[in-house]
Amino acid sequence: MPVVSPHTRLATIEDLFRLNYRPLCMFALHYLQDADLVEDVVQECFTVLWEKLEQGADVANRKAYLYMAVRNRCLDHLRRKGLPTESLKPYDTYGIIDDDDAEERSVMEAKLWTAIDSLPEKCRQVFLMSKRDGLKYEEIAEELGLSVNTVRNQISKALNVLKNGAAKLYSFILGFF
Amino acid sequence: MSHSEDRHLDFVLKHYQPGKFDTQKAIGRFKDANGIRPLPRRRWNTVIWGMSAVAVLLLGVFLFMHSDYRRWTEVTADTSVQTYTLPDSTVVTLAPGAVLSYRSDSRKVKMSGKVFFDVTRDENRPFEVEAGDAFVRVLGTEFMVNDIDGPQGEKPVKVYVAEGKVLFAKDSESEGLILTQGMGATLEEGAAVPVFDEKADINDIAWQRGTFIFDDTPLKEVLTCLSEYYKVSFVADDLSKRLSGEFYTDDLDLIITLIEAALDVNIIKR
Repeated sequence: MPVVSPHTRLATIEDLFRLNYRPLCMFALHYLQDADLVEDVVQECFTVLWEKLEQGADVANRKAYLYMAVRNRCLDHLRRKGLPTESLKPYDTYGIIDDDDAEERSVMEAKLWTAIDSLPEKCRQVFLMSKRDGLKYEEIAEELGLSVNTVRNQISKALNVLKNGAAKLYSFILGFF
Repeated sequence: MSHSEDRHLDFVLKHYQPGKFDTQKAIGRFKDANGIRPLPRRRWNTVIWGMSAVAVLLLGVFLFMHSDYRRWTEVTADTSVQTYTLPDSTVVTLAPGAVLSYRSDSRKVKMSGKVFFDVTRDENRPFEVEAGDAFVRVLGTEFMVNDIDGPQGEKPVKVYVAEGKVLFAKDSESEGLILTQGMGATLEEGAAVPVFDEKADINDIAWQRGTFIFDDTPLKEVLTCLSEYYKVSFVADDLSKRLSGEFYTDDLDLIITLIEAALDVNIIKR
């Protein structure tokens, strides 16, 4: 149904942002591997959808439209850089996956991202140094002036939050579809 | 964690930057780019234009009835949080339902509802706020005034100071309280002087910041804070635990899930 009043239109686009912005960024990140570029691309796609709604166009499935628009723009970027796009799939997906799976994966990754964002700062710092930067517990302890035991505790706390959080989120997502 | 979840986590970790892909910021950027929240200067010009036209038409009437009406500009927030920049570069954030009026030639504003102020410093011209029967003079920078009617229709005015220093009183002549960072106070309807709030805290301005901040906070207080914000009540099986962390306000279910996982408790929404 076309969105008629400007007020409803704004509420619609804000809702689409809240539910899909971060997942769409994760989706685009698989293609582009560049967070700043990803934010620009996703913004452009929201703007195109916004202009369509303003012109009174009837976009039936707005979420699917956004995913399609983001993918097409990402592929444009890759083509311009002369990278292969024959498979029309993200090139680091550990095997080819279909659109629905790609969307579900993006939602999952966005939740993980949010969960990491929500960790207490010290806990997150220790966790990133270990899991992302590959530092040993001893090295982290020395750099931050903590005991090895504290480092171990912080990491297990972070993993616990992500693991339990992710498991619950998974069942939520599966139950939802 | 299963193999596929590990892969998701590896991918997220590889690209993770704190605060990146912030939905709230993205909405702000989108609105700016598409002229949805007009730039303050443009809005200002528009308002002056409209007002001048009216003023010319009804000049006589206005001169008799409201000699300074023409100089007040009103901004509002209908259903979502809105941010405006005033002529002196003070930034005001209005919660839904709030109204604020300002003038180009002074640093006095009038308001109702819930408004967060980030005031620019000017020692020679104090920034002053009138909210119903209450008065705030700014001696520092960031604070919130909450002038929302209570459940029984009573009209207390609340002030919370995020940063800096303010004077809070009934009017510019009366005795008041000096509030500094992290302090809050309430002026009850009809009262002559405001009183300090024992439990004023940073999460009173969660709506403006977009995050809740807990620092070794008892779970009971955390749930009270969430239930005031989202207007739902919660039960938990162990209220003795304490929580630290920062949570985005835009996803209640995720907040609950994260708290449950972090503290190993069960929380049920009612």
